[in-house]
Amino acid sequence: MSEPLLPPLRVEKAVELLPDVEALAPLRALLVSIARADERSRWSSSGPYLTLGKRGVEPDELRRSVPHVLHQVTDHVRSLYEAYVGALDAVQRGDVARAVAALLHAGRLEESVGRLAQSRAWYERARSLAATLPDRRPEVELLGSLGRVGLALGDAAEGARYFQRALALAEAEFDQAGAIAACEGLGDAALRQGEWAGAQAWYVRGLRLAEASDDARGVGRLERQLGAVARRQGDLVRAGNHLRRARERLEGAGAAEELAHVLNVQGQLDAQSGRHQAASAAYREALAWMQRAPRDLALELAIRLGLSELLLEATRYLEADEELRRAEQAAIAGNLTLPLVQIYTLMGKLRGAQDDETGFVFFEQAVELCRTLGQSLEAVAQVYFEYGLFRERLGQLEEARAYLERARGIFESLGEARGRDRVETELKKLSA
Amino acid sequence: MTQSVPLQSSPAPAPPQPPSPRLLQVLVVTAEEGDGLLPSLRQWAADAGVAVQAVPDLPRAVRQLAAQPWDIVLAILGERADEDLTWWADALRGAAGTPRLLVAALAPSLGLVLRAEKLGVLDLLSLPLRRDDIVRALGRVRAAAAEVAVPLPEVQHHAVGPYALVGQSPAMLEVYKLSARVAASSATVLIQGESGTGKEVVARAIHANGAKAAGPFVAVNCAAIPENLLESELFGHEKGAFTGAVTRKIGRFEQAAGGTLFLDEIADMGLALQSKILRAVQEREIERLGGAGSIPVEVRLIAATNRDLRQAIAQGRFREDLYYRLAVVTIQLPTLANRGEDLVLLTAYYARLFAERYGKRLRAISDRALELLRHHAWVGNVRELRNVVERAVIVATDDTLRAEHLPEELRGEDTSHADGPQGTMLTLAELEARHIARVLAHTDGQIGAAAELLGIHRNTLTRKMKEYGL
Repeated sequence: MSEPLLPPLRVEKAVELLPDVEALAPLRALLVSIARADERSRWSSSGPYLTLGKRGVEPDELRRSVPHVLHQVTDHVRSLYEAYVGALDAVQRGDVARAVAALLHAGRLEESVGRLAQSRAWYERARSLAATLPDRRPEVELLGSLGRVGLALGDAAEGARYFQRALALAEAEFDQAGAIAACEGLGDAALRQGEWAGAQAWYVRGLRLAEASDDARGVGRLERQLGAVARRQGDLVRAGNHLRRARERLEGAGAAEELAHVLNVQGQLDAQSGRHQAASAAYREALAWMQRAPRDLALELAIRLGLSELLLEATRYLEADEELRRAEQAAIAGNLTLPLVQIYTLMGKLRGAQDDETGFVFFEQAVELCRTLGQSLEAVAQVYFEYGLFRERLGQLEEARAYLERARGIFESLGEARGRDRVETELKKLSA
Repeated sequence: MTQSVPLQSSPAPAPPQPPSPRLLQVLVVTAEEGDGLLPSLRQWAADAGVAVQAVPDLPRAVRQLAAQPWDIVLAILGERADEDLTWWADALRGAAGTPRLLVAALAPSLGLVLRAEKLGVLDLLSLPLRRDDIVRALGRVRAAAAEVAVPLPEVQHHAVGPYALVGQSPAMLEVYKLSARVAASSATVLIQGESGTGKEVVARAIHANGAKAAGPFVAVNCAAIPENLLESELFGHEKGAFTGAVTRKIGRFEQAAGGTLFLDEIADMGLALQSKILRAVQEREIERLGGAGSIPVEVRLIAATNRDLRQAIAQGRFREDLYYRLAVVTIQLPTLANRGEDLVLLTAYYARLFAERYGKRLRAISDRALELLRHHAWVGNVRELRNVVERAVIVATDDTLRAEHLPEELRGEDTSHADGPQGTMLTLAELEARHIARVLAHTDGQIGAAAELLGIHRNTLTRKMKEYGL
């Protein structure tokens, strides 16, 4: 006699059971990535409101997938151990450069699997060793890596400090590539802090260096960054010119991934200019370029989110919903929580645009994800901001005010003036 | 509430239109200009009356697809054929018009064949290309171009809030009659039916034709709202009752006072909450979370579910006393498959509804599109049909809904399932593998659910999946 078929367990229940222990992080990631929507609920009236928490997991499937994940974890740890032993061996032989390279490799490995704090620890060790080398280029590279990790961890000021040191050292050592990377990093840090003019200045400096070195990819990338800054500054013509030049340089260099980035910004620019069809074409072409590059799920999701927003603005709700569901599936499979928070926020906005009160479940799921998966406070504030607008749209003014005030409080605590100002504007509208 | 206006359920076909004389536009995507593929294609194309243009890669193809309408895109898949196929399906979403995708790969695997079928690919050819295969695929596109337009029938509908009751099948007439009888009373009603059969529409119709029609109709989807939030959603809360209670909230029971409260997907509610609902139904009063006292509420309750509540009771997942409180009158809704020609009426109704929303003029549907709709297994019933018609209207370019406007999944069903690549017959094992893969795709990879559908044990399924490399 066959055993009775048990329904899958909901992800929200499964996550609750799992203690917040670092060693279990890969298991948590696996749990999320194998979560599936119940096919029977696809066409039910609750189907459109399905979120990650309501997906199901089968213990059996988890059991089957565990050996594969354990194998990956073992491989990763083995590589780290080998890197360390290699570094130790090199130190014993007095080959500091090789030791630095081994530690840098370990840091890269950690960074590649999203273990940013751990990668920072490896880079720090490597850097202290690299400071003793006569060739300072490895140190420039390490400072750049530390800056990049700082930015990824949400600490733009720390990232900027590392890039400043990298730039000073690179210039002193005539390390042109290091200097270009440092200028770009400084521009990124300024961009994160909303300092558009500062970002522009750094990118222009990097661009000059890249042009002088005949670095086509570098030129293309910096032109794209300048286009992105110009777009944010509202100078759409200048943004378009930068992006056109970026495209010319990168197409010549056959840089597929970079072209995808450029076309993503082009899509944003066209959308901002109200050229919806052109924006859609740019996003589609960006996705097409991604096929020719190593998979970058974060970029793919950014493009899909852009496309979804475009469809939402054009009131093409059905297509927007479908695109968001594709993005959701990719984010879940890739265990990318920040895009998932953005996707659910946008899904809530989509429901709000259709005056659907039950859409609040998406905002609740986004808040829950931020809470359980440790998303940045800025992401939380952004969710509350959109949640407030959703309530406002439905005429629930008291709740709208409460959520907007929460968002304002978080933006204030982060010193995020732009975010706070946006909330203030909405709160004033509510009071009027 | 019942509809008595005679409807044209079998519309007469319009006179056949002569096939379009224009050349089929084929966009070939291949980087291999030099290996003889393109010259051969151009030669065959001239014979077959098609125009061929080539681009070297997907990004260039996307530009072409956005710039002008194409009939067919022939893509040569690389080493990562399965991944390539997904990118191609994505690229066609942004295309002008509705081109069909024709792909070719070196020694396509069974998995690739299944994936192509799921994505509605016109055909998956094996490299090196053979003239006959190309001609056969082109023939299928030509056949589609010869579809006959059938005028959309006029549909009399009964508007119910944002929805409408459409249909004149005997099964629906029974629903109308029972709904009309029960509307006049204040009895609690339980509506049962598969997903997408229109339970909320019927609930709204009962409300609109009942004594509390002047009051509000408040719908709560019990399965959509997380369990920890459902209680406060239903009964409300006072400010500060729990961490997230930022303001005082009036629950749905109170919002529905003097009207109807519709509890959809009630079987998904936890037992603790079922007790509270039972109390509210019995005592006609509720308590807000964190509130000091009881609040009287006068509402008519209508509940709905797509589950078998008696089975849920037997499994201890649903309270029997609540079931008897809710099922004073039970209305069972028919599936779309059991509604006969209602499918045509619903299609016509939604086609007009969405044509108006998207600013299009639709007058007809092609015979082939209608045939595809009739042969589809509507798991999602009317909700699925509505979705399919809306998508078709979005992509329609003239006054007729054609097969090419239907989603890829439906168009994929048009192909012969007994054929392998190149039209060869499948072995029994290949057929079994295909069926298992199809069921797994249907259950979104859930082995337990797939085993249940296939009527085999989970371990047997796992073994077969390994055996077939699925």
